[in-house]
Amino acid sequence: MKTLRPLWIVLTKELRDGLRDRRSIFSVLIGAALTPLLFGGMFTVVAGRNRDSEELKLPVAGVEYAPAFVDWLKQQSGVEIVAAPADAEQAVRDRKEDVVLIIEKDFAKNMARGIPAPVQLISDGTRDTARPKVARAKALLTDYSSQLSALRLIARGVAPSIAVPVRVQEVEVSSAQERLASLLNILPLMLVLAALTGGMQIAIDTTAGERERGSLEPLLLSPVPRATLAAGKWLAASAFGCGSVVFSMLLTVNVLRRVPWHDLGIRFRVSDGDLMSLLALVLPLALFLSAVVMFASTFARSFKEAQGYIGLLVLLPMLPGLLSTLYPLSNRPWLAPVPIFGQYALAADVLRGKPPAVAFYVLAGVSVLACALILVALTSRLLKREKIIFGR
Amino acid sequence: MIEIQGLRKSFGAVQAVRDVSFNAADGTVVGLLGPNGAGKTTTLRMLSGLMRPDAGTIRVDHIDVVADPIGAQTLMGLLPDSRGLYPRLTPVEHIEYFGRLHGIDGPALAERTQALLARLGLNEVANRRVSGFSQGERTKVALARALVHQPRNVILDEPTNGLDVMSTRAMRELIRGLRRDGCCVLFSSHIMQEVSALCDRIVVIAHGTVVADGTPEELRSQTGHDNLEDAFVALSGLEAEEIS
Repeated sequence: MKTLRPLWIVLTKELRDGLRDRRSIFSVLIGAALTPLLFGGMFTVVAGRNRDSEELKLPVAGVEYAPAFVDWLKQQSGVEIVAAPADAEQAVRDRKEDVVLIIEKDFAKNMARGIPAPVQLISDGTRDTARPKVARAKALLTDYSSQLSALRLIARGVAPSIAVPVRVQEVEVSSAQERLASLLNILPLMLVLAALTGGMQIAIDTTAGERERGSLEPLLLSPVPRATLAAGKWLAASAFGCGSVVFSMLLTVNVLRRVPWHDLGIRFRVSDGDLMSLLALVLPLALFLSAVVMFASTFARSFKEAQGYIGLLVLLPMLPGLLSTLYPLSNRPWLAPVPIFGQYALAADVLRGKPPAVAFYVLAGVSVLACALILVALTSRLLKREKIIFGR
Repeated sequence: MIEIQGLRKSFGAVQAVRDVSFNAADGTVVGLLGPNGAGKTTTLRMLSGLMRPDAGTIRVDHIDVVADPIGAQTLMGLLPDSRGLYPRLTPVEHIEYFGRLHGIDGPALAERTQALLARLGLNEVANRRVSGFSQGERTKVALARALVHQPRNVILDEPTNGLDVMSTRAMRELIRGLRRDGCCVLFSSHIMQEVSALCDRIVVIAHGTVVADGTPEELRSQTGHDNLEDAFVALSGLEAEEIS
């Protein structure tokens, strides 16, 4: 009780001070809004693209040379044949069209003689957005070609299977959820960034800012242990970090509910339970990240200097996050006690629909909090250094 | 009551304080006088408990500052060299924050806050954020937060630095008031008039050493100079430097 009272005094003062600081409020909002906006935008774009590739509007030139072929194309589901632009290559180059099919004038003649009938499929391989449409068009051409070849072989008394030495059957082992999880991998990274940016401003302001203003020396003259001061400041920064995470989560929930999942071809709902699990992972991490920022900023004489250090520090939670989008950390619950990595690993499992046991959450939380407390203790020791108290 | 004995402190090769000893009794105002860089601020920092002396003892009301800095800090009110404020807080919030850190709360704190605001003439700006304050107002707020726990020992590092005439007068009045209350007041300065106008005793520091310690009269007679400023210059060895 005797030590808790000053802790509470420091915490409430820093919270009040922080809430009046436009910069810290701004950084909480930015950190929180980043996730849902990016996320919602990304999924909507992907969904839109999937929808586009299924409904193929294919410009065809030379319809008159192959009426049977064009009729077949028109019968395929979701395919609409439209007139091709005069200069097809230029149109694709100018991105007016994603893909154009040109039927050459020898088509019918060659077809009749049984030699390959020429068509041109014009596309730009450097354009990612056009790729699903090009793939669909190619698949249509291959289908038509193999149907005809089968008919020709039958007409000559040959079993069509003789012309298919290898038959490929694609087996997708990942569930629809798992495929989506590869996109959702970015959600933990975004939440971690919210935790970092939310608490960062106040963590810097209460350490480097305090030194820069010259208010550290007067503060240290009050009869309160350094550890209490450091802990109060840390809890204030952590509260901002956690607030940012929760706010971000609420926005994300609202955005996820509005994503057109059916267009993604996936029956998927991120359950409230999953989101709670993510919160249980990221909130303790917010306390750790605030402690890291506070420790580093205590070395800085000014706000600007601290921002320089933190600029590098931001990479710390970013790298595992980016790494996890390339090499999924899922199914590695033994990473739990490693700060940051553990959170990403467990979050990946949650998003795959295979939540880890409660013990792993506890392990991750306890480990990350222990690291945070060590950093707070180190910070309070820094506050005893004469160079830090008086060095301005 | 402040007792300082054989204080020494160096930073690397620089000996900031070589040998400083003096006492300051209750109910007196003691001026720590010396040119810039003489070791005044370093001495006061060691007295505040934030800087560890290489050698020597410091006692505040018989509490050893080096052994029990927090215990000593409850007995002292310090206006340090750096007197930064929180720009988004008001004077009242500053006073209350430091009051609570000293364990004062409730009606006692409210009463104390009002008394300080009145005494320092801060009533008009009491609930305004300090970010736009003048130098004088800032010093007053810093002083108020240092005095919130009614310390018996008040230590002021160059309290009139950067203040205009009216604020300087108010500061002098405040120091006299503290003496009337029976406080032990120790303040540092490099301004002669200020020290002579206020002090019961003067401790002159030069090159990290106490070169004189006595009443203004004693210093005048010791140096043979009627003018205190000439006495100061003679004592601190500035004359020799001026010529060379």
